[in-house]
Amino acid sequence: MTGFWRTHSSRLITLFLLLPALVGFFGLFFYPMLLTVILSFRPEGQAIGWTLENYTRFLADPDGRWVILLTFILSLGGTALSVLLSVPLALILREKVRGHRFYRLMVLVPLVVPGLIGALGLLLFWGTRGWFNLFLLQFVPFVERPVAVNYTIHGLILFYVWLYFPYTCITTLSSLESLDRSIEEAGEVSGATRWQVLRYIVLPLITPGILAGSVLTFMAAFGAFSVPLIAGGNYRPLAVEIYKQIAVPIPARWSAASAIAIIMGVLQVIFLSLYMRFVRRGGGTGGPS
Amino acid sequence: MTDVMIEFRDVCKRYGTLVANDHLSLAIRKGELMTLLGPSGCGKTTALRCLTGYIRPDEGRIFIDGQDITDVPTHQRELGMVFQNFALFPHMTVQDNVGFPLMIRSLSTTERAERVAQALRLVRLEGYESHYPRQLSGGQQQRVGLARALVYRPKVLLLDEPLSNLDAKLREEMRFEIKEVVTRLEITAVYVTHDQAEALALSDRVAIMNRGRLEQVGTPEEIYEHPRSRFVAEFIGLSNFLEGHVQAVDGDIMVVSVGGLQMRIPALPNAGQGQRVLLFLRPNEVELLRPDDPGGANVFDAQVEKATYLGDTMDYRLTFGQDMTLRVQSDAQRRFGQGAPVRIRFPRVRCWAMTSG
Amino acid sequence: MRLARAYGRAMWDARLILAYTLLLSLTLFILAPFLMIALRSVGKGWFGRLWLPPQLTLDWYRWAVEVGNIPEVMKNTLIIGVIAVAVSTAIGIFAGWAFGRRQMPGKEVLMAIILLPRMIPPITYALGVAKIFYTLELVDTYLGVALAHVSVCAPYAILVLSATFEGLDERVLEAAGVCGANTVKRFFYVVLPLIMPGILASMIFSFTHSYNEFTLTLLTYGPHTVTLPVRTYLAVGDGYWEITSAMAMLMVVPSLLILAVIQRRAKPEKLVGGFKGV
Repeated sequence: MTGFWRTHSSRLITLFLLLPALVGFFGLFFYPMLLTVILSFRPEGQAIGWTLENYTRFLADPDGRWVILLTFILSLGGTALSVLLSVPLALILREKVRGHRFYRLMVLVPLVVPGLIGALGLLLFWGTRGWFNLFLLQFVPFVERPVAVNYTIHGLILFYVWLYFPYTCITTLSSLESLDRSIEEAGEVSGATRWQVLRYIVLPLITPGILAGSVLTFMAAFGAFSVPLIAGGNYRPLAVEIYKQIAVPIPARWSAASAIAIIMGVLQVIFLSLYMRFVRRGGGTGGPS
Repeated sequence: MTDVMIEFRDVCKRYGTLVANDHLSLAIRKGELMTLLGPSGCGKTTALRCLTGYIRPDEGRIFIDGQDITDVPTHQRELGMVFQNFALFPHMTVQDNVGFPLMIRSLSTTERAERVAQALRLVRLEGYESHYPRQLSGGQQQRVGLARALVYRPKVLLLDEPLSNLDAKLREEMRFEIKEVVTRLEITAVYVTHDQAEALALSDRVAIMNRGRLEQVGTPEEIYEHPRSRFVAEFIGLSNFLEGHVQAVDGDIMVVSVGGLQMRIPALPNAGQGQRVLLFLRPNEVELLRPDDPGGANVFDAQVEKATYLGDTMDYRLTFGQDMTLRVQSDAQRRFGQGAPVRIRFPRVRCWAMTSG
Repeated sequence: MRLARAYGRAMWDARLILAYTLLLSLTLFILAPFLMIALRSVGKGWFGRLWLPPQLTLDWYRWAVEVGNIPEVMKNTLIIGVIAVAVSTAIGIFAGWAFGRRQMPGKEVLMAIILLPRMIPPITYALGVAKIFYTLELVDTYLGVALAHVSVCAPYAILVLSATFEGLDERVLEAAGVCGANTVKRFFYVVLPLIMPGILASMIFSFTHSYNEFTLTLLTYGPHTVTLPVRTYLAVGDGYWEITSAMAMLMVVPSLLILAVIQRRAKPEKLVGGFKGV
């Protein structure tokens, strides 16, 4: 026994250190996942038997396919807008403009405030009686009726940007700040204008950072649940659709919900692996180190 | 005046209360390699950044080739610059790095390739075109930097401590290489460094800076042999300083009393009796004699306090007179042990008048 | 020459104006919703096209506390948060030490697997967690809801702490050993001060995630374990915007405190937790 201990002690200690994480992983992620997978193949409300019906019903239904499409529209739209917002913002914040500490802190606000409170405020601000429409009606000519933002697709995308752009922004900012300023100076001394420096030097160098950040934004947006739940109206992306299956009908349709959940998980994993392959190819050939 | 390439005219730059450049005026001639030398924080980098346009001076104007460029944006100044940390574009190959200034100037692909090849030949880096900077050694990277700076034949080449990120041996090698390239192209170059050996070896002229001011401008010989201030003397090479006061002035010669001893040295202009002066001697300019050698003018008895063997030279700390210490370096052929009595002779002594206090 | 100078100045000004316009719009975009909540929570009789409420009142706060039961909800949230932080930090310290400082075969793969929950939408495994907790009767208990939160918090803790431990300089430990410190002293005087910021960061981030966690809570909560996000959701469903706003105002205070701590103590990049290999 002592011999065994001597030869394997190091590995046993490692295993012991990993034990809590492994228990947590299996108990709180792997086993629930497994259960969801099994449930998704059970006929609704039964503990035995196997069927593909839960999948086929959702995928064959035009409404089901619309839900999938909607989820992608919302999350990709939100991600694209987040990138468009984050890159200029990060470029400005890097310059340490007056009050940049305040703005940096502000970027973090959507991350630490519960999403539902953010959504509540957004609904109030962009609503027909909110400040946005008050401004339009009183100061912008030719606007006579309030513009609908809440409970529309573009409104939801806007809310997604509010909630999830910090991931992209912070990652972009940190990759910008790890850039060596003298590289840009070298570009300028070489005769490049600021725009040319941005285009040929800065942007190619921070692209990996932007893409990494946008992956985080995309994942958060794809899995978004609380915000579309209260601010989506008739637009229900996958996560909300899953919840509706167990919250609305009586008895709850656990198998249908599970099937949609598995579809959602698989879609996300497929999309992410495609995305990362693209990132590796696009950002990898030219990226530093 | 036509042979002036770069001129700083009364340039001032302040950061809050810190004055980085204090009324800096300096003219650099065409085809000359001028070194800005000084300790960190002396303002040499600020001066260089004013030249590139990365910093805008608070006051004063800067001219390149007779044209006021103080408000010309960096990219229109037609400069070439080599950076301390190389500052190569990490996402581009050597070919693209060197070709970048040409691409920006919209040269045709064939002409670009030709000029890049020419520039790489100049720095002896043929065959590395498709390498990325991270695949090159420090010395090679700096050569790419040099090629990139020279490829579009700028009027002026700026070098910002280009060798300080290289190891000692490579540094000396590159020193000559830079000197050779600059001489061959007959380009005006401004070289910023804090390394006095580098400055002496490379420069046509050296400008020594301290606390935002120009201390002295001159050829390496002038700077080394006739430093005009204590700061310059201390910064360039080893120095001994002795304090004394003038006892008598006799034409070109004055007698200075230093720690109870009398020294006869060339007179300062306007020197008066009783004036406090500072004597300056290089350790290798002090002659070390045997205690039984004959005395004479400026020959004094001394004692070896500490002797250090440095290979080709011996480094001594001597005491003489009343509690005065002196550092002397001499040939290692003739050695004196610790505590040994010696005689020293000062063949060349320079001095400055000091304000009292 | 003067023209060139004026042109340069104008370009500079245009860029500055553009930059500040963007910053200002962003400030408005991010903070206006909170301003609206704040106004709504103290406004009375605020209808029609009015920029500001005509009358002020604190009634909604009284309602929020009495009917909305905010103190009780706050207590639940904090208890659940503390349990979740304790469990995930413990997991994170052990696993982080293993990942950060010990050799093992297939470390990268194992780490990727353990961090997998971050890649999957929480609702996917929340279903299974809910099912299991129903059978174990963990639903509507502090421990149950907190354990559900651990599935979200622990990966962040592991990520932050393994980076912290990996960054621990072996030479510093050696130097401490050479100086004659024994293991215990070495731990308390050298290791602990070095890893404390990491542990603190991991705790703050775990707490933030637990505090804001909604998906898993919604599927495991019960009448006795209503947390703040769930309370907000229920209030929005009830449709009393004024009371909901008052509740939201009360709930946002701890978030802002956390924000202040993060700003002082931690790098925000860690909050978003980048991916290895992306």
